[in-house]
Amino acid sequence: MVFRDVFDEESLVLRDNLTAADVENWDSLTHINLIVGIEREFKARFTTAEVGSMTNAGDLENLVRKKVGARG
Amino acid sequence: MSYTDFGFLIFLAVIAGLCRLCPPRLRNLLLLGASYAFYLTWSARAALLLAAVTASSFAAGMGIERARQLQTRAWLTPLVVVALAAYLLAFKIALLGRSHGIAGLAMPLGISYTTFKLISYALDVHWGKMNAARRFSDFAAYVAFFPQILAGPIQRPGAYFSQLPPVPVRAADALPRIYWGLVKKLVIADNLAPAVNYVYANVTGLHGAPLWAGFYLFPLQIYADFSGLTDIAIGAGRLLGITGPENFDRPFTATSIGDFWRRWHMSLTSWLADYVFMPLRMATRAAGSLGLAFSIAVNMIAIGLWHGLTATYLAFGAAHSLFIMADVFTSRARARFFKRHSKWDGVGRCAGCLLTFHLVAIGLVFFRAARVPDALWLLGHLFSGLGASGGLFLAMTDSSGARALAVGLAGYAVLELGERFRPDLWLRRVPQGPRWLRWSAWCGATVLLIFGVALLLAHSGGPRSPFLYEIF
Repeated sequence: MVFRDVFDEESLVLRDNLTAADVENWDSLTHINLIVGIEREFKARFTTAEVGSMTNAGDLENLVRKKVGARG
Repeated sequence: MSYTDFGFLIFLAVIAGLCRLCPPRLRNLLLLGASYAFYLTWSARAALLLAAVTASSFAAGMGIERARQLQTRAWLTPLVVVALAAYLLAFKIALLGRSHGIAGLAMPLGISYTTFKLISYALDVHWGKMNAARRFSDFAAYVAFFPQILAGPIQRPGAYFSQLPPVPVRAADALPRIYWGLVKKLVIADNLAPAVNYVYANVTGLHGAPLWAGFYLFPLQIYADFSGLTDIAIGAGRLLGITGPENFDRPFTATSIGDFWRRWHMSLTSWLADYVFMPLRMATRAAGSLGLAFSIAVNMIAIGLWHGLTATYLAFGAAHSLFIMADVFTSRARARFFKRHSKWDGVGRCAGCLLTFHLVAIGLVFFRAARVPDALWLLGHLFSGLGASGGLFLAMTDSSGARALAVGLAGYAVLELGERFRPDLWLRRVPQGPRWLRWSAWCGATVLLIFGVALLLAHSGGPRSPFLYEIF
């Protein structure tokens, strides 16, 4: 799982309202690593505006669904 | 009018009183009027310029929102951001040249902080994090909010607007923060300042012990000074019903340089992380580690040059770029090592804390020195003639005042202990305690207050000196 790998935390459980404040290593550096990891995993590409507008893991998940769904 | 002026405290008390008497829907208008009245005590022309930039940004925000909804005019947001950055840069360049040009006419107070607020507003609206403000008075009050205008903290627009209409907290919940800020500035920073000023004014004539004093004292002085300013700003904001973001979290307990920047000037670093580092890192993500190094370098040099377009600030930013790169590129390996060897974790944290403090102190030598050669002299002569530098050290304490230095250092020890053990949090539990505890606490608090005011009056560090961060 990308989240566990990026934050190096095996016990991390993903939920919609998970934010950077809830994860010790989630800072501006690891945030982009997370985005890159998700882009690779789902073969999607995010824009800066999309990344800038995300506030929690739920937003990220919705965006991935939208991108993957649009691809069919 | 500065935050340590008696006039400011009277002004704040009057506005806080009016805020409580005023109907909630009019409070933000009151804050807007008060903010411009405060601003006018510095410069009428700067106030006019601020009003003009605010009005333009308000209109731009509406345009950005429309462009976002209709998915047109993609150039608008970059244009607004570039125009605002150019506006800030023009004053910084003019200030650098000491010319009689634009900066000679009116160098707006707190221009960095207001510009950063306006840029974050434009980008937040563009990214759809928030809608454009509908009422000009709300927007103008956010930009000019006087407790934050001198030196931040840089509040995000959404966080300000979500607190409208302002609901002031009890005075007892805000005044201790203001008092603590005044103690940090007047008792600690201003008493450490003479020794630091002496060392940096005479740096090339010194070696050994006095240089060590300058090396170790300036980090303490700037922390007490800047965090004191933030405490006054946050306390004053609460008194008026607007809670600003925290700016410091015991930065000298940081165990790595990355950790330090998450604890130091947090509102600026998080601002830069969101609006400079993130877009840059997104643009360079295909370049892997090289892109990361480039993004870190641009971000840290921007932090340095934000203070002023000088070689010393550039060196400060460049030094921190290198420190952070070293931290980032070794962090995974270090984390794995300490996971495997958990018994070394405590030693690693202590060593990390000491190393981080010294790296920060090295960076601050460049920050404080008038010229890069002065900084290099200080760092290069710490060990030269160390044993024979006792006379120079005594000359420093004679010139700057041994008593002032002792008071400043003792005050700093109280600062660290106070922030470690947080007596303010214990006091909050008192109202729920039994009667004997409540009465004992109130009597103790009264004695402490009288003692505290006496301490402030007796040990204030001589004539008023401006806050170090007022000039940015």
